[in-house]
Amino acid sequence: MTEALLSIEGLRTVFRSGMGEIAAVDGVSLSVPRGRTLGIVGESGCGKSMLSLSVMRLVPPPGRVAAGRVLLEGRDLLTLPKAEMRDVRGREVAMIFQEPMTSLNPVHSIGDQIMEAMRAHEPRAGAAELRDRAIAALARVRIPAPERRFTEYPHQLSGGMRQRVMIAMALACSPKLLIADEPTTALDVTVQAQILDLLRELQSETGMSIILITHDLGVVAEMADEVAVMYAGRVAERGPARAIFEDPQHPYTLGLLGSIPRLDEERETLLAIEGSVPPPFALPPGCRFAPRCPFAISPCNAAPPPLRDIADAHEAACIRAPIEASLALGNAA
Amino acid sequence: MTPLLEVRDLAKHYPVKSGIVVARQVGTVRAVDGVSFAVNRGETLALVGESGCGKSTTARLALRLIEPSAGSIHFDGRDVTRIGGAALRALRRRAQIVFQDPYASLNPRLNVGDAIAEPMAVHGIGNAASRRARVEELLGLVGLAPFHAARFPHEFSGGQRQRIGIARALSMQPELIVCDEPVSALDVSIQAQVVNLLKDLQRRFGLAYLFIAHDLAVVKHVADRVAVMYLGRILEVASKRALFAAPRHPYTRALLAAIPHPDPQRRGRVTPLGGDVPSPMAIPPGCRFHTRCPAAQAICREQDPALRPLADGHQVACHLAETLPEAISDTGAGFAPAAARRLALFAKARAAV
Repeated sequence: MTEALLSIEGLRTVFRSGMGEIAAVDGVSLSVPRGRTLGIVGESGCGKSMLSLSVMRLVPPPGRVAAGRVLLEGRDLLTLPKAEMRDVRGREVAMIFQEPMTSLNPVHSIGDQIMEAMRAHEPRAGAAELRDRAIAALARVRIPAPERRFTEYPHQLSGGMRQRVMIAMALACSPKLLIADEPTTALDVTVQAQILDLLRELQSETGMSIILITHDLGVVAEMADEVAVMYAGRVAERGPARAIFEDPQHPYTLGLLGSIPRLDEERETLLAIEGSVPPPFALPPGCRFAPRCPFAISPCNAAPPPLRDIADAHEAACIRAPIEASLALGNAA
Repeated sequence: MTPLLEVRDLAKHYPVKSGIVVARQVGTVRAVDGVSFAVNRGETLALVGESGCGKSTTARLALRLIEPSAGSIHFDGRDVTRIGGAALRALRRRAQIVFQDPYASLNPRLNVGDAIAEPMAVHGIGNAASRRARVEELLGLVGLAPFHAARFPHEFSGGQRQRIGIARALSMQPELIVCDEPVSALDVSIQAQVVNLLKDLQRRFGLAYLFIAHDLAVVKHVADRVAVMYLGRILEVASKRALFAAPRHPYTRALLAAIPHPDPQRRGRVTPLGGDVPSPMAIPPGCRFHTRCPAAQAICREQDPALRPLADGHQVACHLAETLPEAISDTGAGFAPAAARRLALFAKARAAV
């Protein structure tokens, strides 16, 4: 197995609220291999975005990381002094978001914004040098006529171009890890295909690792080497991408796969999952998916199931996996 | 048989003005630029395309929610392009709409029962008691419970709100429902619930849907026929089977090729289309797709191709439709054996619950 660039251990991110402490991320352990892509999939409210903000130490108050470690090449980011953490952001770990329009400042030109990101980490660089490097950064994300785009403003660019600018800014200081939070969700499919292509090319050029957060199983299949499926703040299943798609173990993973209409399949009805994700202040005591799970039996409601090995590097948090063996034993629901 | 809804050469042009004291028209946004199609009773016609292609504007034009700049709209054989007053209200009873954003389309101060009953009250159908009974029936139809009528929109999840929107559209017993991206804002597991519900309601009530979407996989699941739009024009119309198995227009092919498949073995087979959609203020001359078309020839830059029939109902607006090589139908192999086996167990267990 390749050495991990980043490992997250027992991460727990909580919010104080009127109803007590709510855990948005509850005991998550994951690792990102060097030069590879970890895809984190889940529906809204599963904690996938909060997980990435926790890694960056950007959890908005009243939220805070209550427990766990985030090791970047062995250094725990959660205990770094603030000034050092500021250096890590951008230079070692960079992030891009779903909506490029709200992440860009509308009153500054594209070029100024890229140079600002560079200057923050290299205050001694000269203006001419920064300008050349910013134009090179735009060229690197395949923006046509980068010298002209350099002077333009965000509203003059299409959604796909704006996301390219965001990627150029994120990669300006050659980070080791790029966290991409739903980078193509706001884009049309043909533009999405361009951006995914670009991310793949940049990864093979630079050798950076990527954490790709998405709700789209198609995007995950297209990009990820490793996949973690999250549900209600926990990891339900994780493993190599092919194992997750070809040998899915957790009933939630199955439900997700069954819910998406596929081009290569003719079905009269989609296999929807009944009900909806439980709110974080009313989580079931046992397995969090049990109330929606057709395979749930009484032990499922007793205690949260731990992740356990199914196959090589493939783990699922389900006491009934693999389900056919479990059903054969006569533990019918 | 007369189609339920038929639009011909429909157009919507918005003037673009500039100047503070004296506003001058400096350009025209051709949002919808000559669109013709028909929706038959009980069928689903999907209008697909990327953002800015005019699909939502077309949907609103078809219901007369906005006024067309040109063209005609026929409903059940009758020209409704210029009707008003009582005649237009009568049309509204027969054709309803479900919007994309279930958060924005419900009044936060109106409880769900009143929201669903409002169209009936507006049209003067029944009295308070009979409307209440009908609301309960409608809630049951969309998978909600009678006690939900007293609750307010903020108490519901996105999927439940979309069910409320559907119940409200059904309250008029319409023949046509325009679904404007009804599942785009929902999580995948919830999306599947709503798609299944729409198909079930269609079977029970013989509804016709004009289904606006950008997701071709969803469209493949719900539609009978599909019309692909680009920059305000329909480029290809065909039965679902023909469109997905043998797309004729290069744009349709590009759209299909751009969809990421939920199968890691097929990684990297996506071939992105270059460039961006041109502005609807400056639609390219000739074929509007030629600036991005991998097959474009000289004729494509000069002559605007009309939508023309090929074979049984398949229509395409491309000069080169006959000379292009057959599309290789490359849609993958479906689920892997272990996944398929467990999905079958999942379905069986769920049916038993």
